[in-house]
Amino acid sequence: MNEPQFALNKEVNEGSALRLHNISKIYPGTVALHNVNLDVKKGEVHGIIGKNGAGKSTLMGIIAGIIAPTGGEIFVGNKKFEALTRIVAKKEKISIVPQDPQVIMDFTVAENLFVADYTCRNGFLKWKELYSRAEEIIQKNNLHFNVRAKAADLSISERQLLLVLKACYVEESSIIILDEASASLSQEDEKTLYRIIEERKKQGNTVLFISHRTDELLRVCDRVTVLRDGKSVATAKCADLDKAKLSSLIVGEDLQLITVSQGRFKPRKGGADQPVLSVENLTRLGIYQNITFDLHRGEILGLAGLRGSGRTELLKGIAGIEPVEDGLIRVENTSRRFTTPSQALRSGIVYLPEDREREGIISLLSVRENLVLNSLKRLSRGHLVNQRREKEFVSSIIDMFGIKTSSPEQEVAHLSGGNKQKVVVGRIASTQPKILLLDEPTKGVDISTRESILAITRDKLSETAGIILTSPGLEDLIQICDRILILYRGEIIDEFMREEFRESDLFYAVQGIKRPGIKSRILKTGTVN
Amino acid sequence: MRNRLQVQLFLLDNLIWVIVLLFFLINAFVTPKFATYDNLVNIFYHSAIMSMLVLAQGLVMIIGHLDLSIESTLAFAPGIAMLLALKWIPGGLDPVTCIFLTLAVGALVGFFNGFCIAKIGVNPFLQSLSMLIMLRGLVLFLVPFSIFPLDKVYVYAGQARMIGNIPVAIPIVLVVFLIFHIILQYTPFGRYFVATGGNPRASFISGINTRRVIIYAFVISGLLAAIAGLLAAGRQGSISNSMGQNMVLLSFAGAILGGASLEGGKGTPLGMLGGALLLGMISNSLNLLGVGVNLVYATQGALIFVAIVIDRLRVKFRGYLLHQEQVQKLLNREKQDPNLTATV
Repeated sequence: MNEPQFALNKEVNEGSALRLHNISKIYPGTVALHNVNLDVKKGEVHGIIGKNGAGKSTLMGIIAGIIAPTGGEIFVGNKKFEALTRIVAKKEKISIVPQDPQVIMDFTVAENLFVADYTCRNGFLKWKELYSRAEEIIQKNNLHFNVRAKAADLSISERQLLLVLKACYVEESSIIILDEASASLSQEDEKTLYRIIEERKKQGNTVLFISHRTDELLRVCDRVTVLRDGKSVATAKCADLDKAKLSSLIVGEDLQLITVSQGRFKPRKGGADQPVLSVENLTRLGIYQNITFDLHRGEILGLAGLRGSGRTELLKGIAGIEPVEDGLIRVENTSRRFTTPSQALRSGIVYLPEDREREGIISLLSVRENLVLNSLKRLSRGHLVNQRREKEFVSSIIDMFGIKTSSPEQEVAHLSGGNKQKVVVGRIASTQPKILLLDEPTKGVDISTRESILAITRDKLSETAGIILTSPGLEDLIQICDRILILYRGEIIDEFMREEFRESDLFYAVQGIKRPGIKSRILKTGTVN
Repeated sequence: MRNRLQVQLFLLDNLIWVIVLLFFLINAFVTPKFATYDNLVNIFYHSAIMSMLVLAQGLVMIIGHLDLSIESTLAFAPGIAMLLALKWIPGGLDPVTCIFLTLAVGALVGFFNGFCIAKIGVNPFLQSLSMLIMLRGLVLFLVPFSIFPLDKVYVYAGQARMIGNIPVAIPIVLVVFLIFHIILQYTPFGRYFVATGGNPRASFISGINTRRVIIYAFVISGLLAAIAGLLAAGRQGSISNSMGQNMVLLSFAGAILGGASLEGGKGTPLGMLGGALLLGMISNSLNLLGVGVNLVYATQGALIFVAIVIDRLRVKFRGYLLHQEQVQKLLNREKQDPNLTATV
């Protein structure tokens, strides 16, 4: 790599917006950050990357004043701080958009934008002005939120974007931290985000951009700092880097990057036998209509679509979480319509939630307790859980998924994001279901976790089950699916077989652009082979 | 269509007042002497004390906590103030100072609660439970016999009547509710309350000092409990150690009827006023119908249950209405342009 510049002990150079000097954070039992140095120039987009557990979120928490560091100094402009509190950080014009969008559900979109910075006259709120200013901000960014709608009515992607708008246009911060903000954004909103970042840069503001995706980082950022095991390893200009170089910095050795590796794909006999799941005319008014497809044993079916295309809702419909209103679901030739997840579970359908923090894990319980949650019956004799079998079971899953935890008894809350995700996938996979609905299993995880989740899905999970997979990007789907259905505004508009996978074609398809020559193609699925 | 929806939503959001009105109309016909001027004044007067506790509880519930200690503060605050004035401070105190002292004691109790909960991290249920028992015990110890007579000025708020034989307690209570409604709706300070209850983490990240908000909420809760104590002492013309007993549970009923929820971030002071009135009207009408006191108590307990059920139904029905509206919109669009869905 081209001489990584360390920002060590340099005198405060002009144009430095933020400088961290030997920042450490020690948690009982672990060192999250060790003498981290960081120098962020004014008006630059500075990327932060590193594997899960490298300390990115902790570092951002320290800058934003949410977490107090154990040692070190923080320079904001020319002011020196031992530690920031959130309120001081805000006064210094530092804003953060955390990983999981934190909005106030019962507040309107407009109030969520302005909360804590209300427009007042004589100490009284000016609601009208607040709404019109919110409307202005939304309009300026070509978005279509209703400012009077409740935040609860927005999708996760929209909530995330809302918080970005808040940080940029309401708090008008000079240092904006985006902690994996793009992870929960739809492709459309992602473009809006990039545009906002570009525009903020022109205004002379500084953006700290955390992401797991190297390509995104290289595209968006001016410089990037790599964290590894709680240490700042290198800071380099993005112009001097490419994907492979950056990846080797992240991983720490010159590892050959496994990309979309067609070579590793072993052809499988997707769909040779009877379908395990077939759905007919599934409808939930205004969300999805007339969804018909088959899923075979051992098949990995991708579901691609933009935000609002109804992919999450469709999966939830099949799993009985948000029941379908009309249509037929057949599991191994018995037609069923599930109204609760436990019914679906009994028929062997398991759903992996998109929103892992809220729907996937019980963070107060230990890794072990989370993992066995769905398998307790299998592990017990009579009413008692067989301790030995439980232990073996848990350690086998921890090994299989490579969950990094100090002990099976550690609380899940203390794991990093990627490891939490592994726990969720592990718990669900261990139930040996017939049908797995995986809703964005690779969201917000690092490269190696993503690879291992995809590999496990392809090699182990699909052996016994039919799988439906969705993903924030198309890469995952292209890598392991046998077939991809395109969902557009709640309808299946196209179907791609493995040999037809081309990223550009798929990309156009999810935008609703139909392939020439297939207008009359009847989407009678189950025509695999 | 849209107008009808708006009316429906308005009625749902102010459901408690719809229920209050319905209940009033039914009783006007069924219960003898219910709809007389004197009885209505009576209902308001008897609801005054409870309504202060309902507001206190409701405000704490809005920030997502709860305060069991208010009913003990109700007796503790005037008790301590009077003891200071009559026994502990030689020469005594003038009654106006005494009133302020009462309020200060209430606020201090609230501050102690809030401080322990926000800064030390004590669970609000346990914290206020310990205060509930401790303060009641102290009152029983310090005020073994009722303190009376009280000064005229001190009992003015709870006892005096103005034109039309209306007790001054009624306008006092109404003004307090109005003030808090305005604070919660139109000042940043009030919105911080609702925000903190709605999502503490989001509020914290937005730069709200959520700990301070929690302390403020408990201080206000203690203050309102002290006002309730002042009204109670005024009404009976004395301070007894049993004042306020068993009222805290009904304060939950009133707050929940008024739209508050244990999850926080919900409810308005005007709704809570409706909740308190409904509680008062029910016990009044049952009294007039000759139902026994204990049965009235049971009915009020049942009301907590009804309040929760109503709240759930309201949420569901609201969702249903909005859903119907969307369906209608989609159908209309399809009617106008049948090809629309095919062409996009």
